[in-house]
Amino acid sequence: MKVLRGWLQDYVDIKLDNKSLSLKLADLGIEVDGYSSTIDHKIVVGKILKISKHQNADKLKIAIVSDNTGKYNVVCGASNIKVGQVVPFAKVGAKIGDIEITKTKIRGTESEGMICSELELGIGQDHTGIKILPDNYKLGTPLYEYLKSDSVFDLNVTPNRGDVLSHIGVAREISAIQGEKLNKVPTKVEMVPKLTSDIVTVTNNEPKLCKRYFARVIENIVVKESPNWLKKRLIACGATPINNIVDVTNYILLDLGHPLHAFDAKHVNGSIVIRRAQNNEEFVTLDEKVRSLDKDMLVIANADKPIAVAGVMGGKDSEVKDTTKTVILEAAEFDRRSIRKTSKDLSLQTEASYRFERGIDSSGIEQALNKAANLIKKIANGQILSGIVKSGDNPDTVLFKFKYDDIRRLTGLTVLDDEINQILNLLGFKVSNHEVSVPSWRHDITIWQDLAEEVARIVGYDKIKPVKLKFKKKVKSNLEFSFREMVKDSLVSEGFVETKNYSFLSDNDLSDSTLNKSELIEIKNPVQIENKYMRSNIETNLLKTMSKNSSFDPILIFEIGNVFTSDIEHANLAIASAGKGADKAIEFAVDSLKDSLKIGSLNLEARELSRNDLKKYKIKKQNGFILEIEMRKLEKASLLKSSEIYYKKPKPIINFREVSKYPSVTRDLAFIIDKKHNADQTINDIYSVSNQINRVELFDEFINDKIGKGKKNVAFHLYLQDLKKTMVDKEADKIVKDVIKLIENKNMARLRTF
Amino acid sequence: MKTIGNLHPITTYLREAIATLSSLGFEVYEGPELDSEWYNFDALNIPSDHPARDMQDTFWTKDNKVLRTQTSNCQVRYGKKNKPPFAIVVPGVIYRNEATDKGHENTFFQLEGLYVDKNVNLGHLKYTLETYFKKMFGPEIPVRFRPSFFPFVEPGLEVDVKFNGKWFELLGAGMTHPKVLKNMGIDPEKYSGFAFGMGIERQIMVKHGISDIRSFRSGDLRFLKQF
Repeated sequence: MKVLRGWLQDYVDIKLDNKSLSLKLADLGIEVDGYSSTIDHKIVVGKILKISKHQNADKLKIAIVSDNTGKYNVVCGASNIKVGQVVPFAKVGAKIGDIEITKTKIRGTESEGMICSELELGIGQDHTGIKILPDNYKLGTPLYEYLKSDSVFDLNVTPNRGDVLSHIGVAREISAIQGEKLNKVPTKVEMVPKLTSDIVTVTNNEPKLCKRYFARVIENIVVKESPNWLKKRLIACGATPINNIVDVTNYILLDLGHPLHAFDAKHVNGSIVIRRAQNNEEFVTLDEKVRSLDKDMLVIANADKPIAVAGVMGGKDSEVKDTTKTVILEAAEFDRRSIRKTSKDLSLQTEASYRFERGIDSSGIEQALNKAANLIKKIANGQILSGIVKSGDNPDTVLFKFKYDDIRRLTGLTVLDDEINQILNLLGFKVSNHEVSVPSWRHDITIWQDLAEEVARIVGYDKIKPVKLKFKKKVKSNLEFSFREMVKDSLVSEGFVETKNYSFLSDNDLSDSTLNKSELIEIKNPVQIENKYMRSNIETNLLKTMSKNSSFDPILIFEIGNVFTSDIEHANLAIASAGKGADKAIEFAVDSLKDSLKIGSLNLEARELSRNDLKKYKIKKQNGFILEIEMRKLEKASLLKSSEIYYKKPKPIINFREVSKYPSVTRDLAFIIDKKHNADQTINDIYSVSNQINRVELFDEFINDKIGKGKKNVAFHLYLQDLKKTMVDKEADKIVKDVIKLIENKNMARLRTF
Repeated sequence: MKTIGNLHPITTYLREAIATLSSLGFEVYEGPELDSEWYNFDALNIPSDHPARDMQDTFWTKDNKVLRTQTSNCQVRYGKKNKPPFAIVVPGVIYRNEATDKGHENTFFQLEGLYVDKNVNLGHLKYTLETYFKKMFGPEIPVRFRPSFFPFVEPGLEVDVKFNGKWFELLGAGMTHPKVLKNMGIDPEKYSGFAFGMGIERQIMVKHGISDIRSFRSGDLRFLKQF
């Protein structure tokens, strides 16, 4: 939600600059996604160097504008431009309202920007000529640094805080941290003697779904464009001006958080009926879509047919048009759950439904209605009729008891009773005798724990002191968890790499596998087609992973993860190998697993992948093997005592390098080096040569007198990559040359030629 | 010579995280990934008619079960069967029904913490998380609390950690909501507790400067073999 600093100032004198304000709001629990000036940063101070006539248009001139770094041709229609003037210059890319300035041809002459008027800058009403700036403004400086422009804050409001979805709501929070009362001006309504009730009656058939419904009538209005000040505020907050009447309802929504609706009285025909829709009742909403309603949806109707889906959207027929003379203005409170359901069922979320769902100020309806009526009177020359036609009235105040000690105990803060009272008062609560009355806009406050949060967030979460846990209990190890980790350790020691694959399968995956669609759990609402079914095995995805790694030989991978069949979810282990020595590798892995887990009798045999499997899964290797088994079968077959089930401590991670999405190059290097030399050190040295070395892997190390006394052979795979493009041989050669030079020089080593 | 394989970076990270929290008394507990609507939402004070349901995009199966959107589905599962005081950590896979890109994933790991005892307060939560991040990210790491909203805690908060000069929003936490304690069969007038839930991939990404969250499930050995 967007709020304007200048609009907030209507209610509170903000003493913080933009940056401090946004930090303070975050401290209060209102995240600020960003803030910006209403004058775009690409509008800078410029100077007119030269003016010439436009050949194809009498009223246009061509100005050459300088911003100190460049000179620009600008076609301009203003009559007051003169050489030497310092002016607001919108460069290409600058935004004026919703329009972005682009390089364009005007009547055949290129124009690279725009010289702006007061109105275009949003700082005044004058549109007769360009704004002329003082001579001492520095050329090229963003204009917002000089002119008093407003700032827009983009807020991220959590769903419990319906009360801050408005300028008054945000201002209330700011005033509380500044320790001040909100600046509210009472609304007085000047009415003509004619009665509202002569024009319209309200019948509420659903007082549970519509707790309050207030209406006013304004006659003899002139529907036209809104004044600029109003349009500017709406635009800055992301709303589109339509006409003065609709704009007022949107203005009040942003101002007080209260959704209003204006009906053309002609289509209301004297009576408003609040009722449920009939099943399959058709209705055309403002957006010109035909909606099919049902009996769970509340509508506002005239005697014959709906004129609005209550709290969600008005109808096309009864909307305010240029010809409208009399409007009926509605301010109501609808049941939050009912609005949410209707909005979901119609797939129609509006600014109104969004606020009704989150709760509005239940006692603020009359104020919202009156403020809107006054504004319409002012900008549409209307006459407000006497009295409000009503169903329901202001709600009773919510009260509950609390203990000061409870608040201190839960927050761990040392706050005095008086401080608690003061904080709650600033937020609009009234406290007396251990009882609090909740302000009518705070639907989220129902229990004393909620008060504890209010106190803590105003005092500041940074004031909370860490307290050591007094909890003393011997931690029991989770055997199922530890057993699984132990399996991982065993496989890793045999050279296998742990992968984690998605728990989903797509229709495509199924066509490649032998799985039966009807036995799979299906996702009802996947956003991506890849997520249509839950996997019932690991194999399918593990084989897909194989195909992605054809540059490795052999490929040795495994996964432990949950699989899903009809009603059972359980963990499986799958191990796969392909390429050079794949048969032995998986055999050793299984043996080592049996060994470390003390598996008595269990048939654990890998299946060799058929030619067809290798082809289907695009595994570009001569052979491949796969084994998948339920973890609980391994557990059952294991003869380990619980004291024997444990896993390794984690090793520190070194040298992470981002993986390029472009193809890499692999090189092998072997060195003859002193046998006491530590290969890990060489690995680190190799990494230090270039950031383009993605990985260094030791694949051979042996001592042999044949290669020299006291010497050993160490061999490494080097994976070379470029994050921005494909790694080419020429570059790889250079890096390899540097590596050889460093290792030979540093370690008295010698490159071994194969 | 035999080359050693590699544990997945999530495994390595979780082992260290769990070891750190175990030293404070937390025990490992695990629960299902495919769960009932009740454990994932209603039991946690997220009724279906509340806008808080929209905070997470949810995978629903055809028979109306939920792929858990948070490891918090284990809070009431555990609390119902155990008497306080207790402290658990719940590692596990969670799901969000979103389109994936560099910064968004639909499948990831969470580590949940829950501690219920007499007189537990926000200070205990701060101590636990500070201890945790000092171990995982280094002894000088600043940790910041900010008020926020999660229906199953009150007060609720976001936790930011400053690493390499930048603040990162790393987890949500708060004091267990009395309704959640009641759903465990625990009297909220006698006991209080705290809970936190943190995304594991995000922490690893921040710590090691990994820019694409999809790397973890890419199956790309060039990535996996670095850990």
